[in-house]
Amino acid sequence: MSASQSAVRSRAEAVQASRTFDWMILFVVFTAILGGYHIHYMLTGGDWDFWTDWKDRRLWVTVAPIVAITFPAAAQACLWYRYRLPFGAVVSVLALMLGEWINRYMNFWGWTYFPVNFCFPSNLIPGAIVLDVVLMLSSSVTLTAVVGGLGFGLLFYPGNWPIIAPLHVPVEYNGMMMTLADLQGYHYVRTGTPEYIRMVEKGTLRTFGKDVAPVSAFFSGFVSIIIYFLWHFFGKWFSKTDFIADDAS
Amino acid sequence: MKIIKDKVAKLSFVALLMSLTAAMFYTPTASAHGEKSQAAFMRMRTIHWFDLNWSKDSVAVNDTMTISGKFHVFAGWPETVDKPEVSFLNIGIPGPVFIRAGSWIGGQLVPRSVTLELGETYEFKVLLKARRPGDWHVHTMMNVQGGGPIIGPGKWVTVTGSMGTFVNNITTLTGETINLETYNLSNIYFWHAFWYALGLAWLAFWIKRPLFVPRHIAISSGKADTLISATDKKVGLGFAVATMAIVAASMGTTNEKYPVTTPLQAGLLRGMKPIEMPEATVSVKVDDASYRVPGRAMQMTLTVTNNGDSAIRLGEFNTAGVRFLDPAVLQDETAYPDDLLAEEGLTVNDNSPLAPGETRTIEVTASDAAWEVYRLADLIYDPDSRFAGLLFFFDAEGNRQMVMVDAPLIPSFI
Repeated sequence: MSASQSAVRSRAEAVQASRTFDWMILFVVFTAILGGYHIHYMLTGGDWDFWTDWKDRRLWVTVAPIVAITFPAAAQACLWYRYRLPFGAVVSVLALMLGEWINRYMNFWGWTYFPVNFCFPSNLIPGAIVLDVVLMLSSSVTLTAVVGGLGFGLLFYPGNWPIIAPLHVPVEYNGMMMTLADLQGYHYVRTGTPEYIRMVEKGTLRTFGKDVAPVSAFFSGFVSIIIYFLWHFFGKWFSKTDFIADDAS
Repeated sequence: MKIIKDKVAKLSFVALLMSLTAAMFYTPTASAHGEKSQAAFMRMRTIHWFDLNWSKDSVAVNDTMTISGKFHVFAGWPETVDKPEVSFLNIGIPGPVFIRAGSWIGGQLVPRSVTLELGETYEFKVLLKARRPGDWHVHTMMNVQGGGPIIGPGKWVTVTGSMGTFVNNITTLTGETINLETYNLSNIYFWHAFWYALGLAWLAFWIKRPLFVPRHIAISSGKADTLISATDKKVGLGFAVATMAIVAASMGTTNEKYPVTTPLQAGLLRGMKPIEMPEATVSVKVDDASYRVPGRAMQMTLTVTNNGDSAIRLGEFNTAGVRFLDPAVLQDETAYPDDLLAEEGLTVNDNSPLAPGETRTIEVTASDAAWEVYRLADLIYDPDSRFAGLLFFFDAEGNRQMVMVDAPLIPSFI
């Protein structure tokens, strides 16, 4: 068989080959995103995602969506403009969370014995679903960035609240009040993570009293819009095929 | 010749792979904390730990032990390390093999960072509850923002029993008693599994149909608009609406179930109470100090004046947690870690009692392998080649006086 001949001899074979190709690409995309996105998220979101005593109303809510919307935006750019497939955000977040769960269970718990209820990852799936649906319905990068990006930021805290609320129940401990999450951070010794490294409840949003989480979520949503645009163009650039001589598109 | 070269290359590659594989299976326990690697001046001129006591050498899972003692915050704190304005009393252990059930400075609980004053001495206590069986090196430790961890002396403690029996019961302010070790786990698993399943459902909806090749062909031939059907849009809208509805409903039910929640607690604790140390009646002037590299010994010439009303003798020199004792004056009865204790490491050319009002110049030698083992000799390579430590003088009744010394150190290589 020469290089110019087709590898398949019938339509059925072509369909089968195409499907095999689908699964191979999906597997590669999923694992590549898992690795890249996971490293990116650990380096940028890091401790805010690792520990319950970092999951606060201000900085976690602000930082996590901003640094998490990156790979979903890039994956959407590639999968939408090349294939009209609106699952770039969800597939990215599913890959990230699978990687995170493997890491938290095998490393944090399996190797270093931090309880899973102290080091579970944040839930990013609600925002990712909305991001994908907005792209599919609007077919517009601007609307996806503005509506979807804002939604990604806004849905983050309420999407995680049912998981973390039980850990925000207060406790009196040796004459001081703290949440159960604070107590986890105090009890389960992290030799390399002293308390002052913890960036929680810092900022100047004092005029909003106890209702600071929605303000932080809105701010996060606004910045997520900008980050969406940026990473969308990274994704477009990354999925170019200029290097293939016959396809200069 | 080429065949030989190829064979060598092939065998080298196989050897490399075997080495890498072997290295992966060699995973010894990391038991210590790099305390010997920390710059000597950091350990000698920042926090001086003394009167340390590890209450137990062996402890069963669920039982507690304490580390207690004092630390002096050196007044001549090095310029290259940030001052201890934001510090955290930590504990140096390999992960949560114990839980920190409590920690106090000057009687105040310190779950957060604190401000320490230079030149002051503080009393501390850390209560540990054993969690994971094994032999663990348990260190005192002070983290200083901008300075890093300043690790103190460590002692081996054995934890016996089974981690499976460990419980961490806490009663909340809402009156519920929970085991913090497993609390909320099923809720975490449920919500993560639920949302993951919903994400997978969205993915499955799309990947059940032909994906990349036919869709790329359709887009290339200008038929992109045909790839998203009206049904797709309805299903997508359903997913989005369901997502928002579930988020709103779950938040509402959570707020009903947990009506009392508080934000994470943070903030610096100021006003730590130092120990009221009695005014020292001994004054010490360091005339010169040198470290003799071949002999692993530090020699100091001190001019000591006794302004008190009872005769005194020099019993101990303590630096970086290493204790050099003159056995004729002081013997350790606290089971201090052997590797940090030079029981006969302090020699004084004339250590006869120094009478009240008397001034004497003495030659003091602190010698022990600990200088090398604990890499304190590396002080001579530090950017600010000074030493510091605590001198303890004793009278006939055993009353103790602590004097801080701090002076340049000249190395001697012959």
